[in-house]
Amino acid sequence: MSEYALELSNLSRHFYLKNGAFKEPTLLKAVDGISLRIRPGETLGLVGESGCGKSTLAKMILGLLEPTNGDVLINDKARGSSSRLLMSRQLQPIFQDPYSSLNPRKTIEQIIRLPLQLHKIGDAKSQQKAVKDISDLVGLPERLLKNYPGQLSGGQRQRVAIARALILKPSILVCDEPTSALDVSVQAQILNLLMDLKKELGLTYLFISHNLGVVEHLVDRVAVMYRGKIVEQGTREQIFQNAQHPYTQALLSSVLTPEPALGLPEVLDSSAWDKAS
Amino acid sequence: MKRILDVKNLQVSLPTPNGDLRAVRGIDLHVNKGEMLCIVGESGCGKSMTSMALMGLLPKRAEVTAEAMQFDGMDLLSLSKKERNQVRGMRMSMIFQEPMTSLNPSYTLGNQLCEGIIKHKGLSKDEAKKRAVYLLERAGVPYPEKRLDQYPHQLSGGLRQRVMIAMALMCEPDLIIADEPTTALDVTIQAQILRLIRELQQEFGTAVIFITHDLGVVARIADRVAVMYAGQVVETASAQDLFSDPQHPYTKGLLNCIPVPGKTLPGSHLESIPGVVPSLIGELKGCAFENRCSASIGECCYRSPSLENHLGSENHQVRCSIATASSCREAV
Repeated sequence: MSEYALELSNLSRHFYLKNGAFKEPTLLKAVDGISLRIRPGETLGLVGESGCGKSTLAKMILGLLEPTNGDVLINDKARGSSSRLLMSRQLQPIFQDPYSSLNPRKTIEQIIRLPLQLHKIGDAKSQQKAVKDISDLVGLPERLLKNYPGQLSGGQRQRVAIARALILKPSILVCDEPTSALDVSVQAQILNLLMDLKKELGLTYLFISHNLGVVEHLVDRVAVMYRGKIVEQGTREQIFQNAQHPYTQALLSSVLTPEPALGLPEVLDSSAWDKAS
Repeated sequence: MKRILDVKNLQVSLPTPNGDLRAVRGIDLHVNKGEMLCIVGESGCGKSMTSMALMGLLPKRAEVTAEAMQFDGMDLLSLSKKERNQVRGMRMSMIFQEPMTSLNPSYTLGNQLCEGIIKHKGLSKDEAKKRAVYLLERAGVPYPEKRLDQYPHQLSGGLRQRVMIAMALMCEPDLIIADEPTTALDVTIQAQILRLIRELQQEFGTAVIFITHDLGVVARIADRVAVMYAGQVVETASAQDLFSDPQHPYTKGLLNCIPVPGKTLPGSHLESIPGVVPSLIGELKGCAFENRCSASIGECCYRSPSLENHLGSENHQVRCSIATASSCREAV
């Protein structure tokens, strides 16, 4: 067993924004020297505002984007040292939008089965059985397997996405805002499912979200990202009860819990955390 | 308290190939002057349809009926198209969800801000610009004079939403309908925008209908709340009462399934509402929430409950046979 399921060392990704044909392009450091470690069986929550580089980071971890600098180590092996196919058996994504991450022209069964076909695992019969087993596991009724994504509700589609991610029996899941497109009543179902699966299969999660209530509920450790850098990381208790960085404090104070007596939070000046980072 | 908007039995239905989709099924709503009414519900419950019907922005094929739709003494449904246009923009205005798509990319912000007030109130261009600059400044937009010549793409999402708010206030409307105005924004920006809406609302005495799916937002901003489910209002109460003493099983379910930092035990099993929203095509038999309700009894299947006063108070109403029955027992 490797010591870390996922290790990022000094990972960076820079973009050049064009300013017209004759002007110097602007350098944008979307991800700027991030180092993170996740132990097997741990859930790390990554929080930050839109545009802070969360999704760029997720794409690099998934191998969808080449890093400018630094390495991604999966179970102690550098991504790139073996083929993408082999890497994908250990690490799978769940995306934000279950409306656009499933192919509308394939049946649910075909969608869930595709990874097995790509990896040439088993024959048709065993693949079918695997699809049924995994649908059971994620609470997807068998009658839906013949349907198309358009006929399913948002929650059911997200279950399909989870089933597709789990069918190769990966050890790590990268969840990029897995519930933010869902209604709250459905969100609770999916969060429960993710927690149950973790217990049952011993999964490791990188959980990217801007919903701090959800993050607090689900994760063991939290990393706070701001403008391409990690500004603070720690255990759930450290971050939620004793945040040090002004940006983390601002994030926490902006969480709106359903408590009418508290009123709206004070508006904080962003210069405080700009200076600190 | 004077009612600025009073709606009785509003119905909206849209023709689809599978039959009429009855998106709004008999809603009674009223908004007092200077009040913040939040309409909360999940996707597909008809909250946006309600707001579009109030604004008169639905396509022609949508059928809108109501026993009454009184806006400051005027019957909105009997107005001609021209009169309706006069009301919309001048006395009622709207803030949309997506500041990215609801501003016209090919006109400057100044042009879009001033268009309404020049048309409705006959102000000169200079006067209109002056007001635009004043409101942009009040909405917290830095360098307001410069913004008038800028285009929407030059602004961030938060700034665009501030421009939208300034635009909604241009003609000093009596009512603003804000349809999920902060959903597309980050939490830190969301807090700023909510505070801004609240402050300006109190300063100008505007009534606001705030539509959202986020109960956290509702709790912090609302005077009164209407919870919608399947095209109906299932519970309405003051924000205080609704959160401290929810009556409808759906409201209770919604409140229980949000993890609250510091309250919900991390990692514990969250309560959820099983099942899915019923199809809104055709008639619903019995209570719309019956198939997902843990408390449902036999009669819920066939008897559709009406919106009844809870504990005899007109300020807290609930559409649930069981809650009403127990409230009657308590009252006795």
